[in-house]
Formats: sequence, C-alpha cells, structure tokens
Amino acid sequence: MSNYIPVLLFLVAVLGLTGLMMAMVIFLGPKRSNPDKELPFETGSAPSPGDARERYPVHFYLVAILFIVFDIEIAFMYPWAVKFRQLGLFGLVEMLVFAAILMFGWFYIIKRGALKWK
Amino acid sequence: MEIILFIITALIALASALMVITRKSPIASVLFLVLTFVCIAVLYVMLGAQFIAAMQIIVYAGAIMVLFLFVLMLLNLRGNQGWENISPARIGLGFAAAGLLLLVAVAWLKTAGSMEVAGLDPEMGTVSAFGDVLFQRFLLPFEIASVLLLGAIIGVVAMIKRKPLAELGEDKEGKVS
Amino acid sequence: MTLGPGWYLTLSALLFCIGIAGVLTRRNALIIFMSIELMLNAVNLSFVTFGRYLPDANGQVFVFFIMAVAAAEVAVGLAIIVTIFRHKESVDIDKVNLMKW
Repeated sequence: MSNYIPVLLFLVAVLGLTGLMMAMVIFLGPKRSNPDKELPFETGSAPSPGDARERYPVHFYLVAILFIVFDIEIAFMYPWAVKFRQLGLFGLVEMLVFAAILMFGWFYIIKRGALKWK
Repeated sequence: MEIILFIITALIALASALMVITRKSPIASVLFLVLTFVCIAVLYVMLGAQFIAAMQIIVYAGAIMVLFLFVLMLLNLRGNQGWENISPARIGLGFAAAGLLLLVAVAWLKTAGSMEVAGLDPEMGTVSAFGDVLFQRFLLPFEIASVLLLGAIIGVVAMIKRKPLAELGEDKEGKVS
Repeated sequence: MTLGPGWYLTLSALLFCIGIAGVLTRRNALIIFMSIELMLNAVNLSFVTFGRYLPDANGQVFVFFIMAVAAAEVAVGLAIIVTIFRHKESVDIDKVNLMKW
C-alpha cells in the first residue's frame, strides 16, 4: 500500500495545481463581458445553425470498433514485451502466430474497403 | 485504513451501478458505468493486481465505454428510450428476481465456510509474473483469443459494411444505407 | 474487523444482482448491454479476489481473457444493435421481435 504514496502525492499536486490555476483565472482575470463573447466559439465565424447532436455516419463506429480489437492485441503484447528476453525464440513465434491470425482480419478490412472514407 | 478505503470504494461502485440501471438517459448510464469500472480498478489495486487494474482502465473504461458513447451518438436516441413506459410490475418482478439471487449468493457465502487466507504474494500482480503464466500455461487460449478477435473483426465489418460480394474489387460507390 | 475475501465476494454478488435487475427491467437494448458488462465485471472481481487469497495467478490471467472476450462481444453486440437500429429505427427490445412468430 505504501507504494502508492507517490501516486497519491501526484494526484494531490495535479488537483492542487489545476485548482490554483482555475482560481487565479476566476479571481485575478479581468471580466468584461459583451454579447459577442457569450456566443459559442466556432473558429471565429458565426456558429453553424442546427442541432449539434446530429446523427454520425456509421464510418466512425467502424473505425472505433476496429480500434478496440487492435487495442486488445496491443494489450496482449504488453506482458509479452516485458518477458521478451526470457521467452526467447519461442515467445517470438508465439506472438507471430497471434499477429498472423489477426492479419487475416486486417486483409479482410482492406479488401472490403472498410477504412475508405467517402 | 484499508477497510475504510474498501467501504468508500464499494459504496461508490454500488451507487453508480444503481444509477446505471435507473437513469433515463443512456449517456448518463454510460458515464456512471465508467465510474463503476474505475472503482473496480481501485479494488483490483487493493487486491494486488496492478496490471489488471491498468487494463481495466485502458480496455474497459477507456475503449469499451468510448465505443458505447460512439454508438449512442451514432443512434442519437431522442425521447424513445421509454423508462416511463416500463410497467411497475416489470420493475417489481425484475428487482425481486435479482433480490432472490442475491439472497442465494449471500446464503452461499455464509455457509461456504471461511477460506484459507494465504498471505499476499507481492510479485503476483506484476506484468512480469503475469507474462510468465500467460505465455506458458495459457499458450493455447492465447492463440485462440486471436481467432476470437479475428471473428469479431469479420463479423463487424460484414454487418456494418453490407456490400454485395459481387461489387468487391471494382470500386463502386459502397452503399452504406 | 479485517478485510477478507468475504467483503469482496459480497460486493461482487451485489454488483452482479444489480446487473441482473438492469437486464430484467430495462427495455433499451444498450442499457441491457451495459448491465451485462456490469455482470461481467462483478465476476472479474470474484476472479481477482480468489486469485489474491488462494494465491494463484491463474485468476488474473482469466480476467485478462474475459476482457478480450468482452471486447469482441461488445464489438459484435453493438454492431448488431446498430444494424437493427438501421432497420427498425429503435433499440427497444419489445419492438425487436424479428425472430418471434
């Protein structure tokens, strides 16, 4: 448990620093408000009309989902990378088989054009 | 000290889990579920499973819940979630069933007798010790996991990109209705 | 009082039952899915608890595999929900009875 004291200190420092900066902005910064400033900011031009919550194209979902799958692959690689030297050639072959099987999925994605952005 | 930490974390986890199933807005549910997962990660650290705790944050709270948020934005549900339309009988019966199961679980815990509690093995939760077990004893499940992930990739692409196989190769306008 | 396995297992049972209640009461497919995730996590907590107190590293490796399975399950499950939504404009499970006749 005592190993986590640095983490706790880090947490306190981060929260303290952000709190301090926000307090400085609130208490020290000048406040001059006008109607233009209260508008939502959108790259300098007037905000685009309509509802911000439009339905997103399904492409976004496809990319996100493929990210998850490869995220898991990387998660498997983490303990492997730590143990790489002890596992030796055996470990390398093991991971190559793992990656090779997932490569089929990657080829399928490319073949189906799942990452093409139209 | 440790027991206080456990009680605080457990109470937050339970409260946010209850919020997940009672909120009307699915977005609120997702955010409370993230809070529950973070609490569970804290418990993992207390149990000496640091690597699993990190994975809990990265995979569950990070990736999987972001995917849920994505889908919610994708569907952009508005006013058709219908918590209001659920009959009280359904709520009553649902909670009664869950309560009965809880009763069984607690009764089992009571009668199971005390577990032989061994001391904490401080090396167990480290990535290095984890890798030892994963890449030797669990070699076959590890390779099979890649087949599972391959299946997931193909399933998702086939379902979302519904393009007739005849169109493959020639790059027509892929119809994503 | 000392913190023993019973505490963690009780919490795990409670979380699991909350997940069950969610699955049984809600009609939004996404929230039902989230409740299932909650149940999976409750079980993971039991696994880690047993792994810690036995002590046996297998418990943690199991949890890792469960996470991989959960990621695959979420990917396919959400794809199914999205596909159903594109057909029926709804994620209400009472309206999705394509296979019932």
